[in-house]
Amino acid sequence: MVTSIGCIGLLVTAVALLGRWAALLPWGFVGAGAGYAVFLSLRPGAVDERAPLVAAVFFVAAELSFWSIERRSWRSEGQVVVRRLALLFSAGLGSAIVGGLLLLVTSGRGIGIGYEAAGVAAAVLTLAVIAVLVRRSRALVHPPRRGG
Amino acid sequence: MTRAASPKLGAYAGLAALGLLAALVLGLPELVLLAAPFALVLALDTVQVRAPHIDVEFELDRERALEGELLDVWIRFGPGAGAEQIDVLLELPPDIGIEEGTNPSTVRLVAGEERFLPLRLRCVRWGAFSLGRIHLRAHDQFGLFRHEAVVDRRQPLKVYPTQEAVRTLLRPSETQVFSGNHVARQKAEGIEFADIRQFVAGDRVKHVNWRASARRGELWVNEHHAERNADVVIFLDVFAEARRGGRSTLDHALRAAASLAARYLRQRDRVGFVSFGGTLNWLLPSTGARQLYRIVDAMLDTQIILSYAWRDLVVIPRRTLPPQALVVALTPLLDDRAASALLDLRARGFDLVVIEVSPLELVAPLRGEKREIASRLWRLRRDAVRGRFMRAGVPVAVWDEDSSFAVAMEEVDAFRRHARTAPV
Repeated sequence: MVTSIGCIGLLVTAVALLGRWAALLPWGFVGAGAGYAVFLSLRPGAVDERAPLVAAVFFVAAELSFWSIERRSWRSEGQVVVRRLALLFSAGLGSAIVGGLLLLVTSGRGIGIGYEAAGVAAAVLTLAVIAVLVRRSRALVHPPRRGG
Repeated sequence: MTRAASPKLGAYAGLAALGLLAALVLGLPELVLLAAPFALVLALDTVQVRAPHIDVEFELDRERALEGELLDVWIRFGPGAGAEQIDVLLELPPDIGIEEGTNPSTVRLVAGEERFLPLRLRCVRWGAFSLGRIHLRAHDQFGLFRHEAVVDRRQPLKVYPTQEAVRTLLRPSETQVFSGNHVARQKAEGIEFADIRQFVAGDRVKHVNWRASARRGELWVNEHHAERNADVVIFLDVFAEARRGGRSTLDHALRAAASLAARYLRQRDRVGFVSFGGTLNWLLPSTGARQLYRIVDAMLDTQIILSYAWRDLVVIPRRTLPPQALVVALTPLLDDRAASALLDLRARGFDLVVIEVSPLELVAPLRGEKREIASRLWRLRRDAVRGRFMRAGVPVAVWDEDSSFAVAMEEVDAFRRHARTAPV
């Protein structure tokens, strides 16, 4: 089941990459992520220690995919490409390290109702922040018309 | 600069939200780690996003160039705030190509540093252009937002047609009153020997022909032909053209016209210009280098404009066609209106010469019996038009791609030397 969901995700990603459909690409990653989620829920035991690495690979794969479908038929300056690759590598490495640290911190402590409540609150807050930021960015992109 | 969101913005927001929601619902902390990089990048980029202030200038090597020449241009970015990644596109007309450099290109601008983006262009075809409209698109670090702007730093560029080789120029049958390089029929002060006559009071001693005087026993003097200038009008038929790929009859005609204007002006003749077609453009005859620039500039504005309106010589100002002017017509003989106007010119007594810029090589080969018959009829019709000119005493030379313009000019010159002018 895990393999089939993951394969569907990869297939959708491949189709999006070949067809250069930016709107389809996130659904491929959703499929791959869903496969990982099913794998985690079927897996007995503690937290997956490879999760930070999976997160880093997931993020780098998303960045590279969006980079490859950019509508650009010309070569970028060498310096631009090098800096972009360096940024990508740093972001991947950073997310792996931070994820690892988070995992290390949380795994050392016993799970109580307080921590769970704090975790839920943090997740809800993060979602709210994302919603606010997206709304703000949309307002920046499409400013309201004056007059009328 | 206008701001726009890339598809990545929505995708990252969706992935982060879905990951966190799934982590909450399924109770899987690993999914939080999966969603965290997307949420972080989104938050950082949205907070940091600023429209970059980019100061752009456009520099052109020179304002005038010849067809086929190379031209250096620079896009200069002033020492502004900088940009991590900026796409730069210099808008170019189809007749200007890129020889060296990349257009469009993606560069990085470092804050506080000046940056030059050199490009080498090739002027493929003549024309009047304005270069310097630059499209800019700046991306932020993770490419979630882009800022776009169009900077207008246009500068004029005139690409003049190259000249055709001309060995000999046609001598006008009539000259004007000012001194020039043509030997006039009239006898006056000059170099070219004309005749001898008896000495009369007032004749200068240096003109005495001593050998003739000794033989006849009285004084005889030499007479000379005067050196005069001429009026030449270049008549360009712009009703229609035949075009195939990068070649057209109008291009050939313009190159020939520019060559003729330059050569005639160099020998102190007055040269005028008439482009007769959908639009009428004219220049009164004049002399000098300035007139050459005027003529070439007028040529750059020449274009084929489709028109069904009948035009005749009435629309041309009278001073544009001075009496006794040599009219050199460059025409593909594709439109009856031009042929009628030229025959009308001849009927009014103008010294007319027709150089036919052959469109035959530019016409796609026709296959099939009916099409071949149509092609033959069209060619016969062209022959008939040519015959009308010949009957009116107008020399017509066909200038095709296999021969040079000089050959056509020689052909016309030979006709004028040997044929008698038909009565009009």
